Amino acid sequence: MTIHVPPSQLMLDQDLAAPMFRCGEIEGKWHHIRSSWPHVIIAVSAAERPSAPSEYGFRFDCSGYRQIAPTAQPWDAATDTPLPAARWPNGKNIVPSIFRPEWKGGTCLYLPCDRVSFDGHQNWLHEHPNRLWQPSRGIICYLEQIYELLNQSDYSGIRGA
Amino acid sequence: MTKSIVFIQVHGKPDVIEVELSNNASVGDLHDALAKAGIAPDADLVVFIDEHDEHVQGDREAHIKGLKHGSRIHVSRCRKIKTSVHYLEHTIEHSFSPGTRVRTVKAWVVEKLKINEKDAGEHVLRLCHSTKEPATDTPLHELADPGQCSVCFDFVPVKRVEG
Repeated sequence: MTIHVPPSQLMLDQDLAAPMFRCGEIEGKWHHIRSSWPHVIIAVSAAERPSAPSEYGFRFDCSGYRQIAPTAQPWDAATDTPLPAARWPNGKNIVPSIFRPEWKGGTCLYLPCDRVSFDGHQNWLHEHPNRLWQPSRGIICYLEQIYELLNQSDYSGIRGA
Repeated sequence: MTKSIVFIQVHGKPDVIEVELSNNASVGDLHDALAKAGIAPDADLVVFIDEHDEHVQGDREAHIKGLKHGSRIHVSRCRKIKTSVHYLEHTIEHSFSPGTRVRTVKAWVVEKLKINEKDAGEHVLRLCHSTKEPATDTPLHELADPGQCSVCFDFVPVKRVEG
């Protein structure tokens, strides 16, 4: 019996084993928790803040990977459920503009590299070229942006703290 | 013998190469690993470990200092990357080792120009004449054009995603 694995899934598996992803894992920036196509759960580490976790889980929907951008939402990896809004990352200015539980019911991040958020935001093409999805870079493109947000001085911990 | 995973980045090449080296690897072991990864020896090429200022030197038996699991090994023709940063009316310059990361350059800018913590948190380094704002762990040689040993940044406010 031949098991058909979608090319998108093969591409994602390849990227999760690639040196760029592994380099980030060994440096403690992120780690792969589990995959169940088209979803993959990856934890991204965060700077130390009072009463805040050392990392946040994100569930990526990678349908159409890499040509189509993924979409990601904060995820409780232990219970395999969406992360409650009170436990979403927060900050002073930049971080809360990206982590918006009220946006699309909390199913995605307000980032130009997120396919759900990008829909209807053609203005982001010229307003945020640096934050757009780059198929040639794959999941690293999205992960780097989350990591930068959670490790900058603007990040203050969780919303409910 | 305990082995470490290290990552090789060659100036001008986008890929990262993963190799295994023993924890007490010698210069010879490193050169062999580079050759195995297709990086031909060249008198002009210099090798740096992580953000070290000094490049790897010594005979084949010499021990490599500071190598650890996850180290990045930077291979470049530049011994230093001349880095210029523009902020308001200021332009400052410094020469960093090729493996120096963008976050280190940002910390230097903040310290040098005495920028307060709030402003520092709301600014990023953007490549001059570009929209590219590299991730903070990007090594400088990755941003220098092939054959060039310089990088220019503008220190600009972070743009909130809106609309």
